[in-house]
Amino acid sequence: MAAQPMKSRWPGLLLLAVILVVLALMPLLVNNYWLRVATGALMWAGLACSWNMLGGYAGYINFGHSAFFGLGAYVTAFLMNDPFGLPFLATIPAGMMVTAVFAVIIGAPTLRLRGAYFAIATWAFAEVLIQFASAMDFTGGIGGIGLPPYLNERFFYYAMFGTAALTYLVAWALFERSRFGLKVKALRDHEPAAEAMGINTALVKLQTFVLSAVTASVFGAIFAYWVTFINPKSVFGGDITDQMVVMVLLGGLGTLWGPAIGGVTLFVVNRLIWMHWGDTAFYIAILGAAIVLVVLFLPNGIAGLFVRRKANALEKVAEKLIGGGGER
Amino acid sequence: MTASAQASAEPILLVRGLYKHFGGIKATNGVDLAVGRQEIAGLIGPNGCGKSTLFSLVSGTVAPDKGEIRFDGRAIAGMSAHRIARLGLARTFQIPALFDNMSVTENLLAAAAEGHWPGAQERAAATLALLELGHVADNRASDLSGGQQKLLEFGRAVMRQASLILLDEVTAGVHPNIRKIILEAIASLRERGVSFLVIEHDMEMVRSVCDRIIVMDSGRVVTSGAFEDIVRNSEVMQTYLGRPQ
Ligand SMILES: Nc1ncnc2c1ncn2[C@@H]1O[C@H](COP(=O)(O)OP(=O)(O)O)[C@@H](O)[C@H]1O
Ligand SMILES: [Mg+2]
Repeated sequence: MAAQPMKSRWPGLLLLAVILVVLALMPLLVNNYWLRVATGALMWAGLACSWNMLGGYAGYINFGHSAFFGLGAYVTAFLMNDPFGLPFLATIPAGMMVTAVFAVIIGAPTLRLRGAYFAIATWAFAEVLIQFASAMDFTGGIGGIGLPPYLNERFFYYAMFGTAALTYLVAWALFERSRFGLKVKALRDHEPAAEAMGINTALVKLQTFVLSAVTASVFGAIFAYWVTFINPKSVFGGDITDQMVVMVLLGGLGTLWGPAIGGVTLFVVNRLIWMHWGDTAFYIAILGAAIVLVVLFLPNGIAGLFVRRKANALEKVAEKLIGGGGER
Repeated sequence: MTASAQASAEPILLVRGLYKHFGGIKATNGVDLAVGRQEIAGLIGPNGCGKSTLFSLVSGTVAPDKGEIRFDGRAIAGMSAHRIARLGLARTFQIPALFDNMSVTENLLAAAAEGHWPGAQERAAATLALLELGHVADNRASDLSGGQQKLLEFGRAVMRQASLILLDEVTAGVHPNIRKIILEAIASLRERGVSFLVIEHDMEMVRSVCDRIIVMDSGRVVTSGAFEDIVRNSEVMQTYLGRPQ
């Protein structure tokens, strides 16, 4: 960004072009196993970006983001099955709308309060959804719900790729290049000052939260159709949120590319561990260690290594959470 | 009289019986004051007498317990801060409340984001030039020196294109050069019709820029008048100067 006016933007654009070409050709370059890994990596990069919209740019920590991923997944599963039997694409807007309604219900009262209330409310919401989905018949209860299988790895790869690319494009346009992004970052850094500049902080936070939630719901919808079977833990589980948070912290909170770097890195590490040791608790330990290392040594994440900056978004988020920092 | 004619006959800011208590602390305890159109009014008084609290009440940052606030002919007491700001009232914070992770330019643009956006880029560039901050335009706000932070705090208020600006000790502890920049900017904005209410400890500055002085003590306005009259009134000066700052 403007931090280094001397530096040309061509190397960055060239790198982006190369990455996009490689991603577009991926199905021709790798076998089906690695195509699935790439599909997952793109999903996590997109999810991390969606979490970062509110967590990084606005400074409000959502500890229940899996709720919206899961809502998208369940709405798609529900509507693709009998008696509705809707086509996949038709279920996505429905999931987005349901998600938006819940995001408003959760966000409107809690985003006005300190960040800690919002963090607790979102965490509780995801827990409630796990219990609810486990108890209800129409969700298939604890056993979960199947979807009509569609065994086309390329379709799912390109669905995730397209959605992730669109997510980053929206994040870039909205948070890095528009008036709206200025308002969001202003309220993160100093909410009373942002209000004094005429910014309706409650509204801007709610809009950002809804966008963040709705984006996650789209990934949830594609995920459900991809894996053809979901249950409460697999789409609402707290570990899904944990991973998004760690990916963003590792990559760089409140940066455009941080969530992509962190998302791809952690997901690939996760797959490698899985290949060598199977499903172990080892990954959880790595997640925990990653959080500690980032907080101690990389407060601006990996992306922060490339831009010099003293202040960091992590401090601002901590202030929001604890409720310290400036008033008056 | 039409509503607008009535409004223009009224002072730009009118405060009546304004109360705000924090627990047992009577931060403002029945403030009455007025600021005229195109006036630069100075607000002085000992530390802790309620000056900054008054700014927070008028700008909507803090809701008053009781009292009337009229801005540009409109009752604004208890209105949310962003609505009051959109009516054309800008304020600075005594402790700079900058957007730390954003650049100097972005701080200025953010101040205009909810206002007259067309031309904001040009106005930001002009403000940078006016405040001689051009060489740090791309620096993070948190990387600025104390004096530069005060300038930026002032610059954001300028970007609001407000009709009334409340300045809370913007020149306290800043280099004389920076102080001069701010004073000249205040004078030229007033020429363009902007009114000011300025909290200031530096009596020399108060004398040189303010048309009128309002003296506060213990949460209320004690007196107001021309600088010379206030200085001549030794009782008032004792109230103000006789206490540790
Ligand atoms: N948010 C607050 N909570 C509690 N007390 C406050 C708060 N803001 C100001 N005060 C108290 O109100 C009184 C007036 O403070 P202030 O308006 O900052 O004075 P001044 O700006 O004239 O120095 C002080 O005693 C101060 O400690
Ligand atoms: Mg003060």
